[in-house]
Amino acid sequence: MRRVAAVAVNTFRETIRDRILGVIILFALAMIVASLWLASISLGQEGRMIKDFGLVAISLFGLIVAAFVAASLVRKEVDKRTVFIIFSKPVSRSEFIWGKFLGLAATMFVVLMGMTAFLFALAWIVAHGPQGSLLVAGLLIYLQLLVVMAMTMLFSTLTSAILASVWGICVYAAGQLSHNVLSLSRLGHSGVTHVMSRVVFYVVPNLSAIDVRGAVVGEGAMSHTSILAWSGYLVAYLVVALFAATWIFARKEF
Amino acid sequence: MGRLRNVAALLVVCACVAAIVVYQSDRPAAARPNPVVFVPSSGFYDSFSPSVRATLADVYWLMAIQYYGEHVNSDHRLDSLPSMVRLVTTLSPHFTEAYFSGAFAMIDIGRPDIAYGLLKKGFAANPHDWRFPFYLGFFAYTYASNAQRYRVAAQWYAKSARLPGRPDYVPRLAAELATRGGSTQTAIDLWTQVWVNGDKYARQKAVTALDRLLPADKIARERAVAGLQQMVPHALFTQFLADVFQGY
Repeated sequence: MRRVAAVAVNTFRETIRDRILGVIILFALAMIVASLWLASISLGQEGRMIKDFGLVAISLFGLIVAAFVAASLVRKEVDKRTVFIIFSKPVSRSEFIWGKFLGLAATMFVVLMGMTAFLFALAWIVAHGPQGSLLVAGLLIYLQLLVVMAMTMLFSTLTSAILASVWGICVYAAGQLSHNVLSLSRLGHSGVTHVMSRVVFYVVPNLSAIDVRGAVVGEGAMSHTSILAWSGYLVAYLVVALFAATWIFARKEF
Repeated sequence: MGRLRNVAALLVVCACVAAIVVYQSDRPAAARPNPVVFVPSSGFYDSFSPSVRATLADVYWLMAIQYYGEHVNSDHRLDSLPSMVRLVTTLSPHFTEAYFSGAFAMIDIGRPDIAYGLLKKGFAANPHDWRFPFYLGFFAYTYASNAQRYRVAAQWYAKSARLPGRPDYVPRLAAELATRGGSTQTAIDLWTQVWVNGDKYARQKAVTALDRLLPADKIARERAVAGLQQMVPHALFTQFLADVFQGY
């Protein structure tokens, strides 16, 4: 456990040194410009627009960090051969993968909560009141991105960093739209697409299950029991993905 | 040879930069607005999650506002506005402001019937929002041309008066319209509600109106007021009787 923590702390420091926290500043600037712009074109609906598009922006900024950093974390160590130095110490390959994941998860937490806190403050000013549901939405986006990170790390043990990033982004998109893939395949008559869409539907994590953006802008209510149950499912999913990553990484020859 | 190649490369770059500058300076700053734009069927988005549908609704809402702004003061053609507003409200049924703004925008194209339908759709999706029946009453009163408009408007205002959050004047408005529409019993019921829920001023108005609506004959009036007993709380009924039987 201490070895996992040591790798995690170093990963956290490394990613922070890469100026990932700059994403928060970029997000803040984008949201300030967006709020000024939306105030003039939304016909008095800037509060709703800020909340909705703000959460979309958090997801997208977070996705970029999750997909690109998670893909390069392990690959970078292998390509620069620094992995040999780490493995010369009493650190197992599974501890290395878990440590890397937890370190990046901590960085992502700081990034996501920074952006969420800024959006919360901005929505408070624009909508003239605190919007507590934004904080819940931010935490759930964090969970979605943890799953994407775990999947991307799994892909990075199989392929190149850039391809792993692309696959990670695809998992996010498919996880949001898996219901659509299934319903669109019903419109066609191709057996192949029907089977493929079923595979996508059952294999890809159902990220939309904990997407509460609709509830934040007044479309329906949050079902806390349902969100808790689906959160448990996503945690299970990321644990499986990380175990698969450690299993593959343990069998890899450098 | 090498020098010649550099000169040739420089000339190619200069020609390319010149072409870009010419093209960019001639480029129209904005495309000419088209009054007929493609608006997809909401059925296409049926299988999307509520969150994605809400975001799409917001995007179409911004587009609808730009479309309205571009055309309302220029060619005055808002051909696609009804389908745009319908799409927004189907994707996000609880986006109440879209119904209200959309309904008033329909007046600009001379289609209060669409506005009325839109508000009815909004009321079906948001049955606890007093503003929908209130605006439905307003549209019925303002744009209906038949003799029933007072009665229809009064019915909508009466529905609005029963919902939480409505302003104090809504029951009085409903009762006044019912009186004008000739729905005597409805008017009596509504004025009684105004008396029960209202302040001193509202009660004075209610007593004046009830005095006009209730039969002048004492026995007939007693019979009519007895029918209102269920609408007035027991503790207030003696006061109510004293008010409606002033001068008897």
